[in-house]
Amino acid sequence: MERRARKLHVSKPFLLSLILFALMFVNRPVQAAGVLFTPLQNIRVSGTVKDDAGVTLPGVNIRVKGQNTGGTTDANGNYTLNVPENATLVFSFLGYVTQEVAVNNRSTINVTLLSNVRNLGEVVVVGYGSVKKRDVTGSVTSLKREDFNQGAVTSADQLIAGKASGVQVVQNSAEPGGGISVNIRGSGSINAGNNPLYVVDGLPLDNSAAVTGSSANFLKSNAPRNPLNSINPADIQSIEILKDASATAIYGSRGANGVVLITTRSGRNGALRINYDSYGGVQNVAKKLQLLNATEYQSTINALIDAGGGTAAQRVNTINNGGTDWLAQLYRRNAPLQNHNLAFSGGSENTSYLISLNYFNQDGVLINSGYDRFSARINLEQRVAKKFRVGMNISTAYSKDRYVSNGFDLNERAGILYAAINYDPTLSIRNATTGRYTLSQDLNIDNPLAIANGKTSFSNLYRTLGTVFGEYTFIPGLTAKLNLGGDIASQRTDAYVDRTTIEGLAAGGIGSVLQGNNSNYLAEATVNYNKVVDKHAFNVVAGATAQRFIFDDVSAEARSFPSDATVTDNLGLGTLSSNRVTSSKLNNSLLSYLGRINYTFNDKYLLTTSFRIDGSSRFGSNNKYGYFPSVALGWKIDQENFMKNLTAISTFKLRASWGKTGNQEIGNYLSLATFSAGNSAVFNDTQVSTTTPSRIENPDLKWEASEQLNFGLDYGFLKDRITGSIEWYSKDTRDLLLNLPIPRETGFTTRITNIGSVRNTGFEFSVNSLNLTGKFKWTTNLNFSTLNNTVKNLGGISSIISGSAGTATNISIIQEGSPLYSFYGYRVLGVWQTGDDFTANPTARPGYLKFFDKNGDKVINADDRVLLGDSFPGLIYALTNNFTYKNVGLYVFIEGVKGVNMLNNNLVDTYFPANLKRNRLAEPLLNRWTAANPSQVYPAFINTGAQAAQAVNSYTVEDASYIRLNTVKLSYNIPVRGKKIKSAGIYVSGQNLATITDYSGFDPALNPNGGANFRVDWNAYPSARTFLLGVSIGL
Amino acid sequence: MKNYKYYLLSFLCIVVALPGCKKFLKEDLYSQLAPENFLTTQEGLESVLFASYATTANMLTNNSIYVIGPQEFTTDIMIQSGDNVEATIAQYINFTFHPTLDFLTTNWDPPYQSIRNANIVLENLNNVQVSDAQKNLYRAEARFLRAINYYKLYTFFGPVPIRTSTTQELQLARATDAEMRTYIETELLAVLPDLPEPGKEAAYGRAHTGAARGFLAKFYLNTKQWQKAADMCKAIMDMNRYRLFDNYFTMFRVENERNPEYIWVKPAKASVDRRNANSWINVSFPANFAREPKSGLTFLSTWVNFPNEFRILDSFYNSFEPGDARQELIISSYIDNTGKTISLLNNNDTRSFKYWPDPQAVGAGHGNDIPEIRYADILLARAEALNELNGPSQPALDLINEVRRRAKLGNKQLSDLPTREAFRDHILKERGWEFYSEGQRRMDMIRMDKFISSALARGKSNAKPIHVLFPIPEVALTANPKLVQNPGY
Repeated sequence: MERRARKLHVSKPFLLSLILFALMFVNRPVQAAGVLFTPLQNIRVSGTVKDDAGVTLPGVNIRVKGQNTGGTTDANGNYTLNVPENATLVFSFLGYVTQEVAVNNRSTINVTLLSNVRNLGEVVVVGYGSVKKRDVTGSVTSLKREDFNQGAVTSADQLIAGKASGVQVVQNSAEPGGGISVNIRGSGSINAGNNPLYVVDGLPLDNSAAVTGSSANFLKSNAPRNPLNSINPADIQSIEILKDASATAIYGSRGANGVVLITTRSGRNGALRINYDSYGGVQNVAKKLQLLNATEYQSTINALIDAGGGTAAQRVNTINNGGTDWLAQLYRRNAPLQNHNLAFSGGSENTSYLISLNYFNQDGVLINSGYDRFSARINLEQRVAKKFRVGMNISTAYSKDRYVSNGFDLNERAGILYAAINYDPTLSIRNATTGRYTLSQDLNIDNPLAIANGKTSFSNLYRTLGTVFGEYTFIPGLTAKLNLGGDIASQRTDAYVDRTTIEGLAAGGIGSVLQGNNSNYLAEATVNYNKVVDKHAFNVVAGATAQRFIFDDVSAEARSFPSDATVTDNLGLGTLSSNRVTSSKLNNSLLSYLGRINYTFNDKYLLTTSFRIDGSSRFGSNNKYGYFPSVALGWKIDQENFMKNLTAISTFKLRASWGKTGNQEIGNYLSLATFSAGNSAVFNDTQVSTTTPSRIENPDLKWEASEQLNFGLDYGFLKDRITGSIEWYSKDTRDLLLNLPIPRETGFTTRITNIGSVRNTGFEFSVNSLNLTGKFKWTTNLNFSTLNNTVKNLGGISSIISGSAGTATNISIIQEGSPLYSFYGYRVLGVWQTGDDFTANPTARPGYLKFFDKNGDKVINADDRVLLGDSFPGLIYALTNNFTYKNVGLYVFIEGVKGVNMLNNNLVDTYFPANLKRNRLAEPLLNRWTAANPSQVYPAFINTGAQAAQAVNSYTVEDASYIRLNTVKLSYNIPVRGKKIKSAGIYVSGQNLATITDYSGFDPALNPNGGANFRVDWNAYPSARTFLLGVSIGL
Repeated sequence: MKNYKYYLLSFLCIVVALPGCKKFLKEDLYSQLAPENFLTTQEGLESVLFASYATTANMLTNNSIYVIGPQEFTTDIMIQSGDNVEATIAQYINFTFHPTLDFLTTNWDPPYQSIRNANIVLENLNNVQVSDAQKNLYRAEARFLRAINYYKLYTFFGPVPIRTSTTQELQLARATDAEMRTYIETELLAVLPDLPEPGKEAAYGRAHTGAARGFLAKFYLNTKQWQKAADMCKAIMDMNRYRLFDNYFTMFRVENERNPEYIWVKPAKASVDRRNANSWINVSFPANFAREPKSGLTFLSTWVNFPNEFRILDSFYNSFEPGDARQELIISSYIDNTGKTISLLNNNDTRSFKYWPDPQAVGAGHGNDIPEIRYADILLARAEALNELNGPSQPALDLINEVRRRAKLGNKQLSDLPTREAFRDHILKERGWEFYSEGQRRMDMIRMDKFISSALARGKSNAKPIHVLFPIPEVALTANPKLVQNPGY
């Protein structure tokens, strides 16, 4: 082996020359002959080499073709060479397209080299490779830095919101760093995940939180803070969203929900460039809820009591110190946020690097909440030898999350929003004598400020992720790449409930510490082959990948401390008998083989076919491996002869694709029969732990299979001044993981089974138009998409009714023929009036809500429920306008959603309060039905418990359609002279400026319930209106 | 140039070999236990048996309230108001039962989980290395638990599917009434030889012959098998193990829960997570309760007062004979947070403080065990059985008077209760005064044919004879097509 290696080493230059010689014959046979056989004179040639931005390039390699002579450009990009007069000079530089320029007796030759590594606008990143945009056969939306959302952005998800048709980005929590759910082309799954696969520089992520448990007596949001926050959005160069099966099948059992490919910035060859970008701004609550104020509360409650809705003991007699607006006490005015990004990039012929540092800090619009991030990145690429290059993309981030106790719970366990909305506004904040927070005698809820200030929680998250690769070129066109990746996250969450709260006082302080580690490791080997033969062009990719995911956590909880001062820093001070300790560990692995062939004939006809074999440890023993094929066809009609005359049409490409992908987010161990902790038994007055079976085993368990058909048309008019695409897709998800109800007499209620199917279909339309291109530039981007979601098959189950939040139970139904999680409740017809004929419903009274009696049995009960809408938007649209005049730019982004519903659970609490003395939304109460003012719309609010079973109704399931002026940004490019500062800019922007909607809650765009396809709004952390001032400097 | 082919080939070989073999995809279990290594050990099997005990007691969080609740809301003893459950409980009170009603699954699922775990224990006994005596004990305990859970299902829903193994087909039809009765009786009789005598069980809370006989006695009574009931009660009395606790007022307190009257309990232990919680007092405290004047009980800040109010009907409160010590556990007035004394009388608002609050309770979980079968029940049951067999008699009356004396009441005379009906009616009253808040009332009224008539007399016009059985939960029906709903629903 050694002898051979040595031999190889010696013969390299000869080999290279031979290859170049051979290529010469292929490409330019005539000229090659000329070079070889005609002796020539030498002349002196000089010039400057620049890049497409006009920046001079030092260190560019210049070789005389066919000879072993040449030179490099100096520090100013200049060169001078003595070469034969009819020589051809070959200019090459890492990251740029090599150019050959014939000397042709010229003495000055200036060259502009074009960047090729991420050739913006030309190349699109797809799974395991990249393709020219013109040759893409699948449905891929490619977004570059200039396409991203502008303004304050915490994570990669926010960069693409509203920018790609068919992609729905839903904010689950508006808290800083709050969770986001992304659905690409609808939702196919009920029990498995619906989020797409995120791939960062070739590393598929497990996008779940490291700490999954809850702290004791501290309420957390239904969606965890977004794990993507650890990736600095400013580091991202482009995001490609793979939507159809042809593009995603190469990700096999993880491609069913679409794939989001994130590519981080690479270094720039050339001199060191330093960029500093910074913005700072303030946020305020965008929309405030109108509750009854103290005087309104007093008069309303007393009037309700007078009308028979309460007892004399419940009368409101005093307003203490003018009362308290509890919600206003929670708002933080002008909450600051700031972001600083410093990037160093540079390189030489064989090296390019990017170092990026970031600090982001955001205080929330509610007190005691916030998010901080420190991150650093190094992206490095090095050509080690002629045929071998290595690279790495590694980033590390430290995030500090500060939480407030808020989420889906009520009464004594409530968070701050629920407490503030329900609390008695006639009370003062603190008791004048004791100094403690005032407690209401009638409400079993803690004081909202006690919860906000007395319950504290924060978490420290360290995440390092990155890839290291080595790529070897055997022969031109044939490369092999080994990619190793890792993503390691470690998080510790602390929470403390102190003695200023009811629970803290009773327990003597409650402290909990949760620690979780979530990591995954990837090893991947691929071979890539490009070949062009006459009119046939091939690209073949084949490879294998293995990935392992490991999770472990531990938690400790203690109570009864001698003092609150040590908070969670000394849990050992707590009382031993009340300690709680848990730990767990999970892992799963994936083993896959993949391959793809891209074939182009005559640059007109395109064929792509891919195949992936995925084995996953999650699948049952009978179904360990899944097979995922896809095929796509493309026809570049604009290249046809009959189209050449239609110069107005510059691009016209038809695409069709079909493929199978899978969803393996089915959870671990579900195919096995295992035992886990059961409820404790009591023997000899001591609690004894027990174990109970977790499930009935299912060795047939496998991935959810998705089959998708896609038809698309990419068009471009007037030399691609207007471009865009139209698509139609139909995606069937089969073998849905359903918790199939089995007879409950087995002791289990369900068994996880692959059965059932859901169909998502829709249209996507996008157009990008350079309206004006002169001095005054104006470009518009419009995209919209429709979505139709239908459950096709539930495997014999008639319906699955689920969902509960507080008073509302059995909120949604899954049944064949309707969308997933359709709202299921009662239709309100109006309000019963005095003198109505009550025989139709003998239990009703004047002032009661009148419900639709579906079966006419004169009783309103569960048999009268109807469908009330669903969470799938019928239409999502976004419009971006960019205006530029000289150095001034204006960016306006409008987005909206039509045809979507959401259950407003705070409205349910207003209609059906647990207790007369609860505070509520003002409008329904101030305009309620009274004998003197009989409203046709609002009920009397007397004896609300009688109709509480009808909590989910057409009043409380509201229309959450909206149109929003999302971002307006005015920027100014400061013209700079001189060599030191290369560029400078300043801008102001406003986000979430105006919203038009009929929805009565904080924000129709939020879904605090988690996910994107089942919308329940309860105690939402309010959205902010943000104003920013930003600067950027390039050195 | 050929060299690259070798490199390529070796690279591809590495690529294929790199991921390794099937072992890579094997699921490693860390936090969960697998049957192969778990059910073959004594600790493992015992742990599953204990899980069956836990779900048999059914005292997780609020279950203590909602297992007893339906047995009392539907009777002349109690009503409820307040909190998010008011609409649901109103349907129990008003006899508008519907298969989607909440708390039905609270009474369907935990018994079947106990039955499943008992079946697992029985099926795996032979895989464990223990002595035959120990195996017999486990077998007897598992069968005991299984039988009493079927008994509870039977009293709530009527005959239900009888599952005796984990390998049966998943969908089973309901047993017939006769099959159900035979099964419960034969199982409980079969375990008697192998269960330890009370006091000899491995730990308090595990099965013993007293409990088995107690359930048999109640079963015979509720199925009107009077002779067998009377005999079984006599057998319990002859064990000379049980006697009435002398102080009714303090019997139900945590410090007295290991008393000689309790035969079988649903155990509770105060803990923050409320896994074995007696939550009755939380719903009995009136609003803003600070102190009870007669006993001096003071509300501790560590306790919780739900806005959920369980209220005793005046008709029941006023039915007590003067001087009845058992009435003292129902409070009629209290002092609230502002120092005001509030009367609970004449408003259907007196409160059952039977499970006197536990000073050790933190939050909503108190540690008072709830008696399912106690000696007073055996005495009154025998009295009732004797009456049904032979009419009023002095021996039967003596049993009643023994209970009355403990309640500081005078004796009844045969002349007071001359007929079978009068005797029976008095026993019903006596049982109400004795067993309120213990989940007995509904079965007593059904057995004595008063359940529906009493409801109608209380103005619940919707009450019909079919309502002696609760509807099978709708979710159970949709999951098992072979289940047939109770008539009338």
